[in-house]
Amino acid sequence: MTRYVIRRLLWVVVLLFLVSALTFVIFFVLPSTDPAALRAGKTRDPEVINAIREQLGLNKPKIEQFWIYLKGIVLHFDFGHSYLNNLNVRDEILSRLPATISLSLGALVIWLFVGISVGIISAVRRRSLMDRAAMGTTLVMISAPVYWLGLVSLLLFSQGIGVIPIFPGSGSYTPLSEDPWKWFTSLILPWLVLSAAFAAIYARILRANMIETLSEDYIRTARAKGLSERRIVLGHALRSAITPIVTLAGLDLGVLLGGAILTETVFNIPGVGRLSYDAIIHGDLPTVQGTVLFGAFFIVILNLVVDIAYAYLDPRVRYT
Amino acid sequence: MYRSSVRAAAGLIAMLALVLLVAACGGNGGSSTSASTAGGGTTTTSGGGSGEVGQPVTAPPDNAKSGGTLTVLSAGDVDYIDPGLAYYSFSYQALQPTLAPLYSYAPGDPSTPMPILADGDPQISNDGKTITVKIKTGFKFSPPVDRAVTSKDVKYAMERAFTKQVPNGYMSAYFGNIEGVKAFQDGKAKDVSGIETPDDQTIVFKLTRGGPVVGALVLPVTSPVPEEYAKKYDAQNPSTYGQHQVSAGPYMLESYKPTRSITLVRNPSWDKDATGDPRPAYLDRVEFQEGNEDPNVASRRILDGESLVSGDFPPPPALVKSTVQGAKKDQIQFNPGAGTRWVSMNTQMKPFDDVNVRKAVLAVFDRNAMRLTRGGPLIGDIATHMLYPGVPGFEEAGGMKGPGNDFLANPSGDPQLAADYMKKAGFADGKYSGPPILMVADNSGVGAQGALVAQQQFEKLGFKVTLRQVTHDTMYTKYCNVPKANVQVCPNVGWIRDFADPQPVLDPTFNGKNIVPQNNSNWPQLDDPQINAAMDKAEQITDPGERAKAWADIDKMITAQAPLVPWLWDKFPTIQSANVAGVNALWNEGSYDLAYTSLK
Repeated sequence: MTRYVIRRLLWVVVLLFLVSALTFVIFFVLPSTDPAALRAGKTRDPEVINAIREQLGLNKPKIEQFWIYLKGIVLHFDFGHSYLNNLNVRDEILSRLPATISLSLGALVIWLFVGISVGIISAVRRRSLMDRAAMGTTLVMISAPVYWLGLVSLLLFSQGIGVIPIFPGSGSYTPLSEDPWKWFTSLILPWLVLSAAFAAIYARILRANMIETLSEDYIRTARAKGLSERRIVLGHALRSAITPIVTLAGLDLGVLLGGAILTETVFNIPGVGRLSYDAIIHGDLPTVQGTVLFGAFFIVILNLVVDIAYAYLDPRVRYT
Repeated sequence: MYRSSVRAAAGLIAMLALVLLVAACGGNGGSSTSASTAGGGTTTTSGGGSGEVGQPVTAPPDNAKSGGTLTVLSAGDVDYIDPGLAYYSFSYQALQPTLAPLYSYAPGDPSTPMPILADGDPQISNDGKTITVKIKTGFKFSPPVDRAVTSKDVKYAMERAFTKQVPNGYMSAYFGNIEGVKAFQDGKAKDVSGIETPDDQTIVFKLTRGGPVVGALVLPVTSPVPEEYAKKYDAQNPSTYGQHQVSAGPYMLESYKPTRSITLVRNPSWDKDATGDPRPAYLDRVEFQEGNEDPNVASRRILDGESLVSGDFPPPPALVKSTVQGAKKDQIQFNPGAGTRWVSMNTQMKPFDDVNVRKAVLAVFDRNAMRLTRGGPLIGDIATHMLYPGVPGFEEAGGMKGPGNDFLANPSGDPQLAADYMKKAGFADGKYSGPPILMVADNSGVGAQGALVAQQQFEKLGFKVTLRQVTHDTMYTKYCNVPKANVQVCPNVGWIRDFADPQPVLDPTFNGKNIVPQNNSNWPQLDDPQINAAMDKAEQITDPGERAKAWADIDKMITAQAPLVPWLWDKFPTIQSANVAGVNALWNEGSYDLAYTSLK
């Protein structure tokens, strides 16, 4: 197992290098903003533009810029400075991570709880009214884009502008360290909106898996042996059916930790997602690269965690 | 079969329920849109809050109260927090309350500079090459500096903006004619010899030639910076003084979290009576909450909430119209003089190198349709020439009616006249028959809609348009501002003055000598020797009346060349909560002047 983990971690390094190189190439190949010209604003003075270009290190050859960037990461864990406001990208991402983690983990708890519960109930009570209503609702939730659902929820439930103003709305995010209660209430709407589609997908997947598992011979055997239905469903069928859910949850959480762009933008949560959005809009390469690398890191690490978790969930899985 | 049918039916029912729910909640928006069709322009250019809908308010109420916290919602951030670098309207709104520039404008008078740090009007020598400004005594820097401001602090503030660490965007354009600038920038002199401080209360500018220096003394770069404190921050490249700045104005920066928030609090060293500063400074605290990317949500928060005002974004057109016609009509203002919008044509490239083709485009252009993309008559007047209302020379150039060019006579377009001009250009059937033209435009928001309307106008004349839509920043920095990108039409460009003078409107945008490889703002690349010469001459004039007349004549010459389609003179909409007594700074696009605004 240890050798397996080490091998996977080495691949993480290779992958992150490739992601970084690809982002760099895309930035310079596709139409993008000229950071120096953008920072210069309305000025047409070439000396001012050149001074800014020098400040940003853009006067150096492209390959040298990339080399300096990689060296900074490897030697100093330094992701460079933003073209937009000269902030240290690493510090900026780290300062925004708590908001993104708060949003993602809270949503994960909700969508796992709702998705798994609904999936189990729908599978066990297949074709019942509850099953049909639940599956119909999941279809709607999957079809509703996050930004649309976010805006609708704000116009319905947010304080200040909502028809039923029961939750704090856009721009109300408060860090956990400042005020835990405000933190909690400010995230209720974003959690619900972000988790809606995930919960729906998970419920549908789990329901399908559970139905298949419940028709397996070993489940029939278990029933014949007189095991309680609760133990059959939760102890045997669920354990087998939940494996793909674990995979998905790991990947989805990794993606979200890289930034839940739409949710953070709609609710004005100062997380990594909004940072990515602003950076992409303004062609801020160091910040784009930083957020992409963080996102890729979370995805591959959580993927690794999922693979390790498999070994515990499914006794047949062994790594060498 | 049965199972899937029932499931589909259940799904449809659930979806229908949600649609009904959304329809119920969206009712206001729907009615807003339908009501908007009757929206009429009721705006005027005078201030004072006369009670007409949408009038800008340019003075605080007589019974204005002190105290309270105001929150400004914005979508974006300041361009720079350093007053030596800040160049955008929103940055001015955020920083101006912390500054004590030599001059500024009263909220309702965007044309006449008003002394802030200066003690009276500038004294200009007969040859216009020496400008002397006296400085008041009562101004002090905020902690930790906490000492009296002197003329040397103004000199340092301006000199640092000529350095590489503080690459200011307008110094060379407006202050480049001060003696000794070049030597200072090249490291051959320790200071700018043309900025003299004979005593603590006097600063003298010596110029190599006449120019716009006097008018530019309202810019934030003239606000004092204490050298002994700022030096260590300015030694870094880029300077970090902005994050650590001290203030000489009524407020000071408590915190700045880029793209998240800015907080201003009272400057304990500022004393209104001692300084004679005309700004009342009612508020105790101002908080900027940034990142409000959705103007619809942010605007509703402001209109329905408390102690909130809009910052850098206009409310969406539908909401503007419903607000004007609803109970909250007193919470919106339309501010004239907020710039002008153009569809530029590249006069260096075929077919727009032919003035008759350009005139044909102007003649056919439905400028009304363009204006509707942004909200219709409420948000501005249809432009008839280049100078816009509030800029000296505007009236002399023809005022609202314009100089009388036939190709700008009909705001909805005149196809017959356009065809006549095309025939004069050699297109016998009155339609263009050459290769496609390249248009580069915004890919989102009202800019994208405007681009589509502009495309239709060109197509009316037979043009085949290759429309490339990119982000706003990319449009400028990679295409429209770069002559070698060979873009023929840029439909989303516009301009706003830096101070009350016609030169900053016409010179950067139409003077042939200002065609530069990067950040070029002469979008039509107009290079007419007569116009260039007239500008060089007009730049030297110091008498305000003569200066306005000279630049008005230049405006007429430019308009006759039809280098671009002038289609809007902006009236920027601002909104406030019901308990805010906002005061609009007409010199700054009408944004709320936080040193005059109060809570009811």
